[in-house]
Order: sequence, then C-alpha cells, then structure tokens
Amino acid sequence: MGLDPASLRLDQQLLHFMDQLEILEEKRQKLNTLIEDGWFNISKARYSMGNKQVSALQYASEMEPLVHVYASGSENGEAEFKCERKGDQAEEPEGSETVETIGPTDGGLRRRVNIKKYENIKEKVASKDECEKEPQLNTKNEKSPCQYQDPLKWFGILVPQNLKQAQAAFKEVITLAAEISTLQSAIVKTRLEMQTQMKDKQKMASELKE
Amino acid sequence: MAGRGKLIAVIGDEDTCTGFLLGGIGELNKNRKPNFLVVEKDTSITEIEETFKSFLTRNDIGIILINQFIAEMIRHAIDAHMQSIPAVLEIPSKEHPYDASKDSILRRAKGMFSAEDFR
Repeated sequence: MGLDPASLRLDQQLLHFMDQLEILEEKRQKLNTLIEDGWFNISKARYSMGNKQVSALQYASEMEPLVHVYASGSENGEAEFKCERKGDQAEEPEGSETVETIGPTDGGLRRRVNIKKYENIKEKVASKDECEKEPQLNTKNEKSPCQYQDPLKWFGILVPQNLKQAQAAFKEVITLAAEISTLQSAIVKTRLEMQTQMKDKQKMASELKE
Repeated sequence: MAGRGKLIAVIGDEDTCTGFLLGGIGELNKNRKPNFLVVEKDTSITEIEETFKSFLTRNDIGIILINQFIAEMIRHAIDAHMQSIPAVLEIPSKEHPYDASKDSILRRAKGMFSAEDFR
C-alpha cells in the first residue's frame, strides 16, 4: 500500500527541513569559533597595547560602513541576504600606496634636516628637488577622505598583528552572518509550509472519516 | 538584488561591538545615530529594547546581530518580530556561550514537532 501524495510531499519537506537545520548547525559552529578567535585576538591586542587602548573610547567620530547587505525578499516571506564589501577593491591599492609613501617621505624629512645642518656645504641640488616633490605627494595622500575608513586605524598606526587577525576573523563572521540569516529565513518558510500542509492533510483525513 | 545595500546593526558587549566595527559595519548617519549599541553594566533594559525597536523600524538595516544574553533580556520583543527583514541573529558572548535551545528561530523550528502543531 502506497502513501498518499500529501504525505509523501510532507515527508520530503521534512527531510529538506532537517537538512537545512543540519547546515545551520554547521554554520553556527563555524560562526561561534570565528567569534571566539576574534575575541581572543582582541584580548591579546589589549594585553600588548594596554587595557584602555582597545575599547569603545577609540571608536572614530565619523564612521562609514564598509560592508553592505543586499536583502531581497520574495512574496512567500523568504529573504536572501548577500554581503558586499565596499573596500575590498579600493583598500588594497590604498594600503600599498601608504606603504610606499611612508618610506620616501620619512627619508625626505631626514634629508631636509641634514640640508639645514650642512647648509654651508651646498651639495646635491637634485636631492632638494626630490625632497620638494615627495612632500607634495604626501600632502595629496593626507587630503584623501578615505583615511578614517579602515577601522584598524582607530587604534593606532602600528597596531599589533592580533588586532589584524581579529579584524580578519570578524570580516568572515559578517559574511557568515548573512548566510545564516538567509538560512534562518528559509527554515522559517519551510516550517510554515509544512504547517499548512499538515493542516490540509488532517482536514482531508477528517473528511474521509466522515 | 533589489534596492540599496542595507546595514548590519549590532547590540552587544564592548568586545563584540569592537570586533564587528573592526569588520567594517559601523555607521554614524546624518543624525549621528549609530547602528550599534555597546551594552555595559549600567545599560538599562529599556534602553536596549528601545534601540532594538528603533533598529527594527529603520529601513536601512538588513540584519541585527545581538548577543544571546542580551536577547534574553528582551525576548518578548524578539519573539514579536516576525518579518524576515531585518533578520535577527543571536550570537554568543564572552561569558555566555551560544545556547541553541534559547534561540528564537530554533525554538520556532522545535515548535514544529509539538502537540500544538498537530491540532
């Protein structure tokens, strides 16, 4: 004797529901581990920088989000979240620029001091030109409005590696959070569908009895 | 993908907020309203609830992350939220590990197999 189609559909949906719960649990575990890693690294950074150096006091007065979530809701109430990081493409070249410019400008300033000290010697006119050019480049970079955008800089220029590791962990957590939100929404939707199907089935069964 | 990108809001202890802000979710809008709340010892439940409700009404927020122990304080408000956007995600905190049995979504899913569903 075969099962009726309503029961079969319900069984299939239940299996799908269980699969979704299993994936959710896996992602949850990963999320928890990543958050724990993040806290651990924040604590390590606090230990090396000082107790008050990694706290809410260091938050910038101007903040711009680097991550956006694109939420698309369907008619049946299911929502899909997609994470998009604004700074990913822009940050890397910026970072490489700062690494390049910090070196030469420091050298330029040093040379300037040397030039003042040994003014009477009158040497290297060309190096003077270089010095003049380099600070110009530097001022251009200082004016760029993107400086406050990397939250790592709120805590100083030379932050410990642990803080960078914490940032990396939390970046991953954010992506995972969007995935989990999508999954949670799908679970709620599956649950609602199953409830309505179950009610329909019971209705049909009671009608057959009568 | 429809519309503009939304924000991720956080209600949590200092380290949780610091971590997520490091991740780049922080925003202070034109009215200087942040998308996060650092819950400290002296933060009242009313303040937490009001912030949570204000996040729910803001249409630029897509996901609300909240420490589970804080979610426990305002459980009625979280349970009352039935919309899929913004999604509410309960996360662990330093002193309180994540407990799936307390999670709103999983409790709803568990309810699937209760006697009430068969009525």
